[in-house]
Amino acid sequence: MNKKEILKLAKGFRGRAKNCIRIARERVEKALQYSYRDRRNKKRDMRSLWIQSINAGTRQHGVNYGNFMHGLMKENIQLNRKVLSEISMHEPYSFRALVDISRNAFPGNKNVVLPTRKADVSINV
Amino acid sequence: MIFPFPSPSPSLFLPLPLPPSFSDIWNNTWYPKAKDHINTEKTWYVVDATDKILGRLASTIAVHIHGKNLATYTPTIDMGAFVIVFYCMNKFSLLETCSYWYGSGFFLSNLTQYVNAEKVAASGKKRTQKLYRRHSGRPGGMKVETFNQLQQRIPERIIEHAIRGMLPKGRALFNHLKVYKGPDHPHNAQKSIELLIRDKRVQKQR
Repeated sequence: MNKKEILKLAKGFRGRAKNCIRIARERVEKALQYSYRDRRNKKRDMRSLWIQSINAGTRQHGVNYGNFMHGLMKENIQLNRKVLSEISMHEPYSFRALVDISRNAFPGNKNVVLPTRKADVSINV
Repeated sequence: MIFPFPSPSPSLFLPLPLPPSFSDIWNNTWYPKAKDHINTEKTWYVVDATDKILGRLASTIAVHIHGKNLATYTPTIDMGAFVIVFYCMNKFSLLETCSYWYGSGFFLSNLTQYVNAEKVAASGKKRTQKLYRRHSGRPGGMKVETFNQLQQRIPERIIEHAIRGMLPKGRALFNHLKVYKGPDHPHNAQKSIELLIRDKRVQKQR
């Protein structure tokens, strides 16, 4: 790329990196590497954000994300996480219906062995 | 495989012309606008910390301050609530303050709910064994205190320390936590709601 294209890409950079070609070239190369990597990372980040949103929405109804998705998979509901997170934000009643479907299909981990409470530990007053 | 036809865009299926404020919420992840996180319209919660296990209480409070209990959680924007934590002092000083407020005819029996108020609790031997360390920066400047000593000195710091470790770094979210020793706080104008704690083991067992 010639200097003009590099300086055009360097708009908004800090200090000499937007003006001087030697510094701008390094920074622009780095910026392009980051954008290549982050086009792939963005897909991961968005999915993680959807999952957090669904988790928060289902926990308001007493179900956690793992059990909720398991219930949906059992009922063969193929809504993806993007749509589920939008439903949880904008359509609360529909989301409540989905949580109920999931809870009927998979009520939760009944056979999980919880750690026993030690009854003889005295708590210092 | 090459699909010869372009993938259908939403405008093909929607009535044209679109209204000016249309946004495609099903194909774009929602991002909060400025009006969705105005500071003056955030929720305020209030919690009484007496006899609650420190870590379990701090965990719930941190979740609410961070905003992770909301389906609209966005990591880059502060969408959480404010939380006020207050707790009673030990019963003797509470009696003094109440006598001062209500006059000398005030008896401790009027406060049966506060009689065994013991401030924030910790299970096991943590009262004498949990250490709070700080360093002044100079050589040999490590200062160590136990839970009990810090509670005598500055009881608010115990809860603040616990919650600060559970929040993201930076002062912005931490400033949404307000801790007060004693049963009153200066935020009556905010009309705060009682914070519901779902952890079953947060209350100290007696």
